Amino acid sequence: MATRKKRTPNAQNDSWVVVAADSVIDSQKKNSDPAFVKLRNPSTDAASLYMFGSGDDQLYEVKAFEEDFHSWFLGQTVQQDGKLLFVTPMDPLYLILPYLIKSGKEGKFQPVDQVFIDEEFPACSRLLNCTRSLASLHHVAEEKEVGSLKFHRYSRDRTLNWLKKKVERTVIALKKRNISVGEGVKSTTYVRVKPESDHHEEDYLRYAHGLISEYISEDLSKALLQHLQLPELTSPKDTEPPLKKRKLSDKPVEAGEDYTKFNSADFARKPPKKMSAAQKSLAKVDKTGMKPMSSFFSPKVKAEKN
Amino acid sequence: MSCNSNVIRVLPPVGQEQRVPVHLMPCEIEHNGSAQVSEYFTATMKDRKHEKTVSFRGRGLKGQELSCPQGYTGLVLKEVNKPGSDQEDRTVRISSVFNKLTYWNLETPPNSDDTIVMAMDWPELAEAIHGPVDD
Amino acid sequence: CICNCVASGHCRLSSHIPDVCKTEDCCLGIDEAGRGPVLGPMVYGICFCPVSKKDDLKDLKVADSKTLTETERENLFQKLDEARSYIGWALQILSPNTISTSMLQRSKYNLNALSHDTAIGLVQYALDSGVQLTEVFVDTVGPAEKYEEKLSQLFPGVKVTVRPKADSLFPVVSAASICAKVARDRVVKGWNFAEQLGEVDSDYGSGYPNDPKTKAWLLKYLDPVFGYPQFVRFSWSTAQTLMDSKSVTVHWDDDDEDGEKAAQRQNNRSMLSYFSASSGANDQTPAHQPHRFFTDRRLKSLDAL
Repeated sequence: MATRKKRTPNAQNDSWVVVAADSVIDSQKKNSDPAFVKLRNPSTDAASLYMFGSGDDQLYEVKAFEEDFHSWFLGQTVQQDGKLLFVTPMDPLYLILPYLIKSGKEGKFQPVDQVFIDEEFPACSRLLNCTRSLASLHHVAEEKEVGSLKFHRYSRDRTLNWLKKKVERTVIALKKRNISVGEGVKSTTYVRVKPESDHHEEDYLRYAHGLISEYISEDLSKALLQHLQLPELTSPKDTEPPLKKRKLSDKPVEAGEDYTKFNSADFARKPPKKMSAAQKSLAKVDKTGMKPMSSFFSPKVKAEKN
Repeated sequence: MSCNSNVIRVLPPVGQEQRVPVHLMPCEIEHNGSAQVSEYFTATMKDRKHEKTVSFRGRGLKGQELSCPQGYTGLVLKEVNKPGSDQEDRTVRISSVFNKLTYWNLETPPNSDDTIVMAMDWPELAEAIHGPVDD
Repeated sequence: CICNCVASGHCRLSSHIPDVCKTEDCCLGIDEAGRGPVLGPMVYGICFCPVSKKDDLKDLKVADSKTLTETERENLFQKLDEARSYIGWALQILSPNTISTSMLQRSKYNLNALSHDTAIGLVQYALDSGVQLTEVFVDTVGPAEKYEEKLSQLFPGVKVTVRPKADSLFPVVSAASICAKVARDRVVKGWNFAEQLGEVDSDYGSGYPNDPKTKAWLLKYLDPVFGYPQFVRFSWSTAQTLMDSKSVTVHWDDDDEDGEKAAQRQNNRSMLSYFSASSGANDQTPAHQPHRFFTDRRLKSLDAL
């Protein structure tokens, strides 16, 4: 057998496969185009890729599905990079929040446009253009109106209440979608004294809390846990490595399944009396690549008429 | 990273949007460019019950069709022209669209535990995490 | 009912079972054709007749198919067919695609195992059809004793003889070899490509890797992405070497070297997540570890397109 070649990194990728919310393309019928932008990820504090819809009306999150050893056939082309990007609508408040918290440290009410100054991510000011941003700021900030001007001040209480609602919404979706939430805490040494059904509910709450925590700072995540009246787990096992992929298991993959059939009683069921002639069996077989077989055998092996 | 200021514009397709068959292959093919997919691959695909079979490079594949989640469309984006400098904005264009894809496993029959099937949970969960909250 | 072969790439052809074979003790020969070629199917043949008719079979002057010309084989096949009142046959055709995908399977299914299972399937077929088998003669390329033992165990009450070159020793095996060889030649000659390749040059030569015509054909029909049509056995080193040098490289998760590395990487990753999680409790601000909803689904954020 030929020796295996080393993998060469894909240097020149210029094509991406995306599954995007319909609003991304619907909005294109308006005047301006959607655009990928880099913004500060509220959980990691580093750059992540997001998207603004047409006219910045809507913010989208970009997530990449990527498994090793995958490529695409797209029409009559090959794309080496097997990633699949998901572009899903995102709540801009998650990205707005860190800026509000930072400016709120002084405890003053401020005009909101002065809050969004970030040299590293100048596009952050566009977050305010999103339709939902100004309309939902009251979930995370107190508002004050002076004349025609609006001022805002970060509110931790409001934020935690808002996040709690987020967790509750997420729990409903997890149940509806039948997503298994248990494994992560089952193996902890944490001793519980609550009835079974509560365990179940707690598993959902923790799982949803974990998901929401992907969009907030660690500090806020801990506060939210308290707000949800969930004790902090310290066992390292509550963040277990991801499930092993079943398909990579080395159990034999139906070796010889097709062949062992011939050992079984499969053929005994066929009536032995009127055994079909070659011509009849020919009519049944897969003739892929074997077109002329029938023409060859038919004149020699007479079919039995029955 | 000075390119943080860069945005990547997404242009609509030129003229009528093109629909293409899309296959996610369980191997890495070191190639970007044309291939006789319909002549070699599609033509030899077999479709029985809920399982599709085909072979690629002598290896047996089993696959199934997956629809894009409700309210979602598949897009293929192509870089229009890479700018010379980091400061210039990049542009991609929607080159084709799809509503379903076929993913292939190496020898394993497709099932609901396949990672790509599970990944399709994401849009609905994202809606719960990101949808507006009542007052 | 659609025959099993549609799904499995298996295909069986058979004669009518002579009535006399259901009442009298019978002998049966097994042989294969097309084991070596890089192109086309491998064909297994069985031929059977009453033990009392062994001499009649000898009188037909069947001989090892390899010592005969194509025309001689054709004529002998016709003679066998004319003797259908006491001679029956069956063929099992293993498509080249079945051979490729079996041999290249994750849990490798080698040609000998494939060969044995097919032979066993054919003997079983004869039994199931009511043939009163008492003697079976098998030609083999591998070690004969073990194979003979295996078959004897599987078919108690049948005297099994496995011999190298059985096709030249026992007329009933010669007859089987003629059936197999004739079928293989026919299938190869008129191969109907499932691929849409337009008019395909059918000057393949013998199909053996060292035949210049076969080599020229393999060079002509090499596709940079797909390699070959399913007519070619991808598991043959001839095909693999040509693809390695002239086609784009393809990596699978079970490629020996790559697979090992991938497993190692995966290991490292989970170890890392384990440690980062435990150190997280000590407020060491470890690298952000995504929630398992995302890691289970291989979903991650991107920092660039």
